[in-house]
Amino acid sequence: MTLLASTGCVASRQEPGQATAAVADALAEAGSAGETARIAVGLLDEGRVTGPVADTVLLDQLRVLDDAESALTTLVPPDAATAARRTTGLDAVGDVSDAVVAARSWVAVRSGGDLAPGAAEDTGVPASADDLLADLATALDAADAALAEAGGP
Amino acid sequence: MKKLLAAALGILTAIGGFVDIGDLVTNAVVGSRFGMSLAWVVVLGVVGIVLFASMSGRVAAVSGRATFEIVRERLGPRAAGANLLASFAINLLTLTAEVGGIALALHLASSVEPRLWIPVAALAVWLVLWRVKFQVLENVAGLMGLLLVGFAIALFQLGPDWGELLRQAVPPSPPGTEHPASYWYYAVALFGAAMTPYEVFFFSSGAVEERWTAKDLGTNRVNVLLGFPLGGLLSLSIAACAAVVLLPAGIEVSSLSQIVLPVAQAGGVLLLAVVILGIVAATFGAALETALSSGYTLAQYLGWSWGKFRRPARAARFHLTMIVALLLAVGILMTSVDPVAVTEMSVVFSAVALPLTYVPILVVANDPEYMGEHVNGRVVNALGTVYLVIVVVAAVAAIPLMIATGAGS
Repeated sequence: MTLLASTGCVASRQEPGQATAAVADALAEAGSAGETARIAVGLLDEGRVTGPVADTVLLDQLRVLDDAESALTTLVPPDAATAARRTTGLDAVGDVSDAVVAARSWVAVRSGGDLAPGAAEDTGVPASADDLLADLATALDAADAALAEAGGP
Repeated sequence: MKKLLAAALGILTAIGGFVDIGDLVTNAVVGSRFGMSLAWVVVLGVVGIVLFASMSGRVAAVSGRATFEIVRERLGPRAAGANLLASFAINLLTLTAEVGGIALALHLASSVEPRLWIPVAALAVWLVLWRVKFQVLENVAGLMGLLLVGFAIALFQLGPDWGELLRQAVPPSPPGTEHPASYWYYAVALFGAAMTPYEVFFFSSGAVEERWTAKDLGTNRVNVLLGFPLGGLLSLSIAACAAVVLLPAGIEVSSLSQIVLPVAQAGGVLLLAVVILGIVAATFGAALETALSSGYTLAQYLGWSWGKFRRPARAARFHLTMIVALLLAVGILMTSVDPVAVTEMSVVFSAVALPLTYVPILVVANDPEYMGEHVNGRVVNALGTVYLVIVVVAAVAAIPLMIATGAGS
C-alpha cells in the first residue's frame, strides 16, 4: 500500500487515437441528444406531443449531455492536437446543452408551467419554436464540425 | 363458439404478452443503430420461443405438472439447483427491469420523477398478484399490451421506403458505421430478449394454473403458433419505427422517451397516448409474469404448495417469494440505477442462462415416462437440437462480446 501510495501514477496514458475516439464518441452522444431535442421541440410546436412527454425527452437528453461532458472533462489529452479537439468538443457540447436547457424552459412556458411572471424573458427563453430550433441547429452544426474534426462520421 | 372465443383470447393474449421492456428497448436501440439488419434475429428468436414454449406447454398439459417440477425429479436436485440459481437470478433482474419500465412509462406520461413511481408500481403489481384471479390477470394484461400495435400503425403512417427497409434486412450485415462486434453483441441481446426464460416458466406453470389436459394441446399449439409470431411483428415494428425516424437523424436510443417519438411524429397525441398505455400494460404484465415465475421456480424446486388457483394462505411461501422478489427489485431500482441499463443487462444475461432453461425442457419432452405418446417427434427434436447449438453459442459469446464492446457502446 505504501509503495502504491508513494509511486502511483496520476493518470493512465492514452494513445492519441484512443483519446480522439473518446472525443468523437462524446460528440456523437451530444449530437444524438441535440437531434432528439430538435424532434421533441418540433413535435410539441405542432401539437403532436404533450408537454410532460416533451419535458421527459429533454430531461433524458440533458443526462446524456452531462455524460458526454463528463467524458470530455475527465479525458487527459496525450498531445496538443487532442487537447485542442477536446476544447472544441467541450465548447460544442456546452452549446448543445445550453440549447436543450433553453428548450426545456420553453416547453415549461408553452405547457403553462408555473414560472414566475417575466421569468421567461429574464432567463432568455426563445420567443418561438423557430428561434429555438434555429439555436439548436446552430449548436448541432458546431457539434457536427467538431465531430468531423475528431474523425467521426 | 365459446371455444373459438377462448382460442382468440389466447392468441391475442400471447401477442400482447410477447413484448416486454427488454423487447421494447433492445428493438428500438437496434433499429436506431443498425436499421433492420438484425431483423433475422427476431425471426430466429420467435421460432425458438414458439418451439420451446409449445414443448413446455405440452409437458404441462400431458403430465399435469409444471416443467420445473419435472426438471428436478428427472435431472436430480444438483442439476436442477444450478438451473434454479441461474433462472432465479435472471428472473429477478428481469423483474427489476419490468418494474423500472412501468415507472419510466409513467414518468413519460406525467413527467413525475420515476423513483416516485417505483414503489407505486411494485405495490400495484403485488396487489394484483394477491387479489386478482390468474385468468383475469393474464388476459387483461395481454389484451392491454395489444395497444402496442400503435407502433405498427405508426410505421404505416410514417410511409417509409419499404424497399430500403427490406434492403437493410436482406442480406443481413452490419452497417459500415458500426463495429461487427457491436452487431453481434446486439444480435445476442435481441435473441435473449425474444427467448427470455421467464416466458417458458410462466407458460408451463400457467398451463397448470388453467388445468390444461392433453385435450388442450390444440389450444396450446394455436396460441403459440399464432400469438408469438404476431408478437414478433410488433417487435419488428418498434425496430422499424426507430430505423425510419431515429437512424437518419443520427439518434442513438438511450431512454424510453426516445422510443415513442416516431409514434408521436406519425400519429400525434392520440396514438402516443395509446402506445404509452400499451407500454405501461406490457411492462406491468411482464412484471406480473416475472414475479409469478420467481414464485413458481422456487416453489416447484422446493416442493412447496404453489399457484394462483390456491388461496394465498394455502400457498404462503409461494406468495412470500413473490413479495421478497418485488422488494428486492424495488431496492435495486431505488439505488438510482438506470432501468434501461438494467434492461440491457437482463437480456444479455438471459442469453447466458438460456441453455440451463432449454436443455432440461428438451430432455423432459423426450421422456416417455412423463409424455407417453406425446413425446417430441423427429422434426421437433431436430429443430430443438439446432436451437440448442444456437443457444449454447449465444450463451458462450454473450459475456466476451459484452466485455469487448463495452456493453455495445
